This record gives sequence, C-alpha cells and structure tokens, in this order.
Amino acid sequence: MDQTGLIQSILIPAAQILVILMVLPLLIAYLQLVERKVLGFMQVRLAPRRVGWHGLLQPIADAVKLLIKEDTIPEKSDRFLFTLAPIVTVIPALTALAVIPFASESFTLFGYTVRPFITDINIALVFLLSISSLGIYGIILGGWASNSKYSLLGALRSSAQMISYEVPLGFAVVGVMMLTGTASMVGIVNAQKEAGVWYVLPQILGFFCYFIAAVAETNRVPFDLPEAEAELVAGFHTEYSGMKFALFFLAEYTNMIVVSSIATILFFGGWLRPFPNASGLDFLENGWLVLGPLVAGAFLGWLVDQRLGGGLRLMFAGGIAGTALGVLIARSDVMGLASWHMPAVSGMFWFSLKVSFFLFLYIWFRGTYPRYRYDQLMALGWKWLIPLSILNVIGTGLAIVIAG
Amino acid sequence: MDVKPASGLREFVKMLFLLELWVGLWVTLKNQFRPHITVEYPKERVELSPRFRGVPRLRFHPENGEELCIACHLCETVCPDNCIHIVSEKKPDGKGKRLVSFEINYERCCFCGLCVDPCPTKPLTAIYMSHDYEMADFKREGFVAPLKTLLNGMDPKDYKE
Repeated sequence: MDQTGLIQSILIPAAQILVILMVLPLLIAYLQLVERKVLGFMQVRLAPRRVGWHGLLQPIADAVKLLIKEDTIPEKSDRFLFTLAPIVTVIPALTALAVIPFASESFTLFGYTVRPFITDINIALVFLLSISSLGIYGIILGGWASNSKYSLLGALRSSAQMISYEVPLGFAVVGVMMLTGTASMVGIVNAQKEAGVWYVLPQILGFFCYFIAAVAETNRVPFDLPEAEAELVAGFHTEYSGMKFALFFLAEYTNMIVVSSIATILFFGGWLRPFPNASGLDFLENGWLVLGPLVAGAFLGWLVDQRLGGGLRLMFAGGIAGTALGVLIARSDVMGLASWHMPAVSGMFWFSLKVSFFLFLYIWFRGTYPRYRYDQLMALGWKWLIPLSILNVIGTGLAIVIAG
Repeated sequence: MDVKPASGLREFVKMLFLLELWVGLWVTLKNQFRPHITVEYPKERVELSPRFRGVPRLRFHPENGEELCIACHLCETVCPDNCIHIVSEKKPDGKGKRLVSFEINYERCCFCGLCVDPCPTKPLTAIYMSHDYEMADFKREGFVAPLKTLLNGMDPKDYKE
C-alpha cells in the first residue's frame, strides 16, 4: 500500500475516531444540562443556574466533580468484574457510532478527502442491532458484581427488558430494509433521496414500534424500571461512583444518541433536507446559514425567558434576531459562506437538527410520563409491539409485491 | 395491561391514537413557558406572612430603646414545653424586677406562640415571634439562646463554629 492509501485508510479514520471520542463527552455533558433545564422548566422551576451564565458551565463542574470523586468499590464485591462492567458497557455504545453517517458528501481537509462518517459497511443495520445487544452484558455484570440486592434486581430487570424489546426493535427495522434492499446506512438514506420521501410516511407503524422499543432499549422513562429510584435506589449502578459511574452515564447517553441517529437515518432521511427532491426548496441546501442562528437564538431566548417569566416573547425575539443575523450573513456573503457549497456541513446540520428533536422527545417523555409497572412493560412489549411490528413487516411485504 | 374493553367509537378512537398520551405531552410543553415559582434561596427569599411564627425573640422599646421585659415570668409559666428559663432580681430602686438572664431552649420550643399572648408590656409585647427561621447549628448548646441573642437577633458570624 502506498503512502496516501495508508493515510486514507488508517490515519484519517483514526483521527475521526479521536475527534468523535473527544467531542462526544462534551456533547453529552451539555445534553445533560439541556435535560435538566427542560425538566426544570416543565416542572415550573429554575433548573441549574449557579455555575456560569444561566448554568452554562454546570456540565464542566459536573465532569470535574465526577473525575475527582472518590471511586469506592464495595468490600464484598467482585472487584475484577466490578471494574470491568462499566468498560464492557461503554465500548459497544461507542462502537455503534462507527457506522453512523453524519452526512454523505466527502470534503477536503488539508488536501485529504475526508468522509463525514467513520465507515460505511453493507450490514451496518445488523451490526448496530448486534452491538447494541452487547451492552446488556455490562449491566448484568455490574449488577451482579456489586453484590447488592438493588443492583442485582435492577440488572435482572434491565436484561429482561432489553431482551424483550430487542425483538420489536429488530422487526421494526426490517420494514425499511425490505423497502431499500440494503442494510447500509448510506444506502438507506440514498434510497430515501431517490424515493423523494422520508420513510416515516410509508413506515409510520414501523417508526412507532421502533421508537417505543428504542426508548425501552435505552432504559429511559417511561421504561426506566432498571433505575426505578423508588424501589431500587438506582438499579444496576447503585454501588458505582466517580469515574465508573461516569462511564455508565456516558454509555446511557451515547445509546440515546445512537438510537436517535438510527431513527433519523431510517425514518427521517438522515442528512437530507425536507422534501429532498423538490427543486423549489433548493435554498434549504444552505438553510443552516439561517436556521442555525435561528435555533441558537431561540434557545438562548428560551433560557433567559423562564427566569423573567415572559412566556414565549424572548424565545421569539431570539429566533428573530438569529434569523436576521443569518440573513445578514447570507446576504453580505461574509467569507463567501453563502456561495460556499458545503453539502457536508449542510448534511450535518440537518442530521443534528433531527437528532436533537429526538433527544428532546426523550426528555419530553421524561417530564411527562409515569413509569410502567413491570408486568405492564412486558405486556406492552410482547402483546402489542411484537405483533404490531410483525404486522408492519407483512404489510410492507404485501405492498412491495402488489406494487411489483 | 389492565385496559377496559373499549365501549363506543369514541373510547376506541381514544385508545387507538393514544389520545391521553398526547394530552399529557401538551401539558408539559405548555408548562415550559410558565414563569418559575421557585426562588434561588440564599439570594432570594420567599416573602413571609406578617403572622409568620419564627423563633421567639425579645425586643426593646421602640422609642426609648430600653428593655421591655418586666420579668413577670408569665411566659415561663405558660410555656407548654418549659423551654423558657428566666432569672430575675429586684431593681436597685426597689420598684419592680429586672432580668438577670433569659434563656429559650430552641431544641424544645414548638413555636406555638403561647408565650406572646400573656405578655403584659406596653406598647408592644416584650416577647414576640420573629421572622427568623434559619437556626441550624453545630452543637446542642447553640440552640439555647441567651439574652443577648434574644434581643439582638442572631449574628451571622455566630453561625460559624
């Protein structure tokens, strides 16, 4: 292999992995802040505000606290497995990110062609399903090694739940695979581009099943029985503290992001803009120039809004100010941004916008729904979701046959 | 799942489209934009009602600044918890009594306000229910308030160990 080939095939993916591994914890730390903010606002209270402007430095403080906190290991625990469990949990979660494409077009950086994803394998979807099942091992190991009744019960619940919901999750995804005939993530989005429609429309039932199963799979409210604090203190990570707890935390939120990304790619057209084939909406290709500041402005307005009790006013004001800024940038063409054709940036913008919506949905659910009882959870999974998802597969198959 | 069989079309539609869940989501979404009702405690405080019963304290005469208490022992007598302890002596001029020491044991006090009712002094009662409510301490002795604390209130630096 010559030198450029070596760089292209080894060095650049390694650099990409490094970038993702460095950006992801920061992203998750701030996702946590957003979660606390949204939850607080939904409960009509103020949410963290002490560290930094409106609590914007809170995630940094939390991270520092977790890093320097004493890392206790229970006396009667299995020390080796206790240490191994968080590692076993976090590795599959991070590995799943390898096949998630953030955009499609490659761009040039320092003279090298960089693709906006680490790898595109033709069995990406199957790979994701299998790798996400591995995460259960860490949870069972952690629960068992802690030698605590709460941890063990939490781990048992978690494993039962994840195994049950893996089935509808897999079936829900099959519909999309049947429509596209591929399991490659890039292939699936390209098929949606050709079809000119997001698969959420033909696969609404599949999406419904997928999303419910995904929430259960990531152990989030209303399916957070493994961590039911009223019954189990904190479930499988009751005995964990410091860095090890941080790893479990990282794994949980990475799983959330991965699952949201898959939902975006399979059902919401990944990096495609809305109506990808309508040429009248071509200006949306550079839409991030305006929409980006709009979202950022509205977000900042919303942060301050709650404090002043001004309803939606500041949020709208922030959005309008952001839009004005965006239009100004686009019009005056600062640094040639507007005429700069960057499908990768545009793709990443649309992708992250859609993923953020799903992440918000997670938090929204957490602020709204009470927890399921264990038998209700199992009944929902086995009696409703599995039949529904199988129905979806049959229906999709029939539709394909009839349409020829 | 303990779902009742759907009776009538309306219930069926409700169940099919999970209407109740959407209603719940709408409520939380709306709530996000309501002004907050909590306060940032040490910086801001909730406004207390004038009748709020905080720790009982003694006060000076509002005009001439003398001690109001005439050491009549009524509050000590009426106190259901026996948390007030008064030591008094005859005034040097032979008329009436004055305080030597006045102690309230906040460990026992139940904040009933009964000590305020019989207090005979004019124009205001010598003992009154103040608006102080921060009374954490490191030692048990810290909960026995001497005359100085009762008259002047808690000095913030007294809180430090």
